[in-house]
Amino acid sequence: MRTARDERARVRGAQEGSVSDLEALFRTHWPRAYRAAYLVTHDAAAAEDIAQESFLAALRALDRFDRRRPFGPWLHRIVVNRAIDWTRARRLRAEVELTDTFHAPSSSSASPGDDVLAALAQLPPEHRAVVVMRHLLEFTPGEIADALGLPRGTVNSRLRRGLDALGDEL
Amino acid sequence: MKRELERVDVPNEHDARVRAWGVVLAAYSERKPVSRPSHWSRVAAVAIAASAIVAATLSSPGRAVLDDIREVVGVERAQPALFSLPAPGRLLVASDTGVWVVQQDGSRRLLGDYREATWSPFGRFVATTRTNELAALEPDGDVRWTLPRPGISSPSWAGTETDTSIAYIDRTGVRIVAGDGTGDRLLLPGIGGLLAWRPGPARMLAVASPGQVRVLDVANGRLIWRAHASSAFPTAVSWSSDGKRLLVSYPRSLRVFDALGNVPLSIGPGAAPIRAAALAPSGRAVAYVMWAAGQSQLWIVPRIRPDANVARTLFTGAGGLDGLAWSPDGRWLLATWPDANQWLFIRTDERGIRAVSNIAKQLRSATFPRVEGWCCAR
Repeated sequence: MRTARDERARVRGAQEGSVSDLEALFRTHWPRAYRAAYLVTHDAAAAEDIAQESFLAALRALDRFDRRRPFGPWLHRIVVNRAIDWTRARRLRAEVELTDTFHAPSSSSASPGDDVLAALAQLPPEHRAVVVMRHLLEFTPGEIADALGLPRGTVNSRLRRGLDALGDEL
Repeated sequence: MKRELERVDVPNEHDARVRAWGVVLAAYSERKPVSRPSHWSRVAAVAIAASAIVAATLSSPGRAVLDDIREVVGVERAQPALFSLPAPGRLLVASDTGVWVVQQDGSRRLLGDYREATWSPFGRFVATTRTNELAALEPDGDVRWTLPRPGISSPSWAGTETDTSIAYIDRTGVRIVAGDGTGDRLLLPGIGGLLAWRPGPARMLAVASPGQVRVLDVANGRLIWRAHASSAFPTAVSWSSDGKRLLVSYPRSLRVFDALGNVPLSIGPGAAPIRAAALAPSGRAVAYVMWAAGQSQLWIVPRIRPDANVARTLFTGAGGLDGLAWSPDGRWLLATWPDANQWLFIRTDERGIRAVSNIAKQLRSATFPRVEGWCCAR
């Protein structure tokens, strides 16, 4: 079982040039990073770019990273903020969201979780991000507020409204 | 809710992960500054490295990111001219103007308008080829003998102090001629590829062809072993100096064989091209260049073992490194870098790197010269 000590050792190893430690960090944190980006953006290509660029950003800051802090939340915070930025930029470009990247599945070709994805699609991206951070990435409301620069009350209200909407859809 | 979010089917997760790892690994290699040689070693399993490079090749997001992180081509503070070689020995180099011998003190001599060249076993002579001629020369350029044959390529010279032979390929197949130019004969009709004599008496010859690798006893024509190989044309074949290991590389794979044809090291085939490969004189290590997403990575497997091979990156640079040669003492690798017009002399223990610029101009060549061999000190 992985421990915080193991993770700190891997971060230290990666800082000192160990590819195997870097790979261990990547293997551990890539799946959630990519999933979180996808759940916020609903665009697989964008999610890949965002997760990848977030790892690269983390890599650039690796030498300055405080090893006493957990690596995952630090990375995931970068991911979610980039995912929110991407959805905002996309809105500004006046693209028609969801039409080319997300289709509500027919019952015959539904993939696991399509109902969840469709329900999330009904939420504004900023609300999706809060739900994803709380329930997938397991941030506390306080940590979400800190990561997104929001008042704690706003986080709580978005969580409540997000869960209500998802509950209705599901 | 967590369970609900985790059961969403995220498209192409695996492919995206493989591509991203390639880009992250490439960026990680870039992270090390060349001026801090003690930090440029990177340890990774060969399979990891290969898959990462493959991933970077396939990734369009990866390409975009790599474009951003790519550095100016070339090593800064390179010497403007080759003042000396960092290790004993002499280089044979083929350029537009012909074949050159480069001495350890940096002095150069043009042997003549030849296309390929190889050293004799003790570095006393050079075998050269033109399109339709095989020639044996003194290292000062004096011609000892010539042999006209159609479409000559891949000369290899081996033997003892008193008895040597040159193997070569022409339009009829694999041929052998004695070191004094006599007794030319056809050994394998209709076979093409690359040749390498096993060091020592000119008896065992490796023939790497599209589809197979053969080692023959030329004294009796017996096939010692044969292995299936890539259907592509081979890019390199060479023995260790003790004749115990043989490297054969193809455009997307390489294998190191032992004397019995067993394979203690195999890399590829993968999507990432292998631009160059060279076996250490000791046979214990191999270096190779993989190319992906506009970058070359020079890898070294410092200890070839049948049970576990570990590779580490010696150097990463934009553009293509396209040639490798080990110094005779095995301490340095010469990597040729056409995009930077540089040669890189890299310590295999990672303690130093020397870059030399203006290579093409120094060898009076419009195209980038090709290193044919780094031979024994005289």
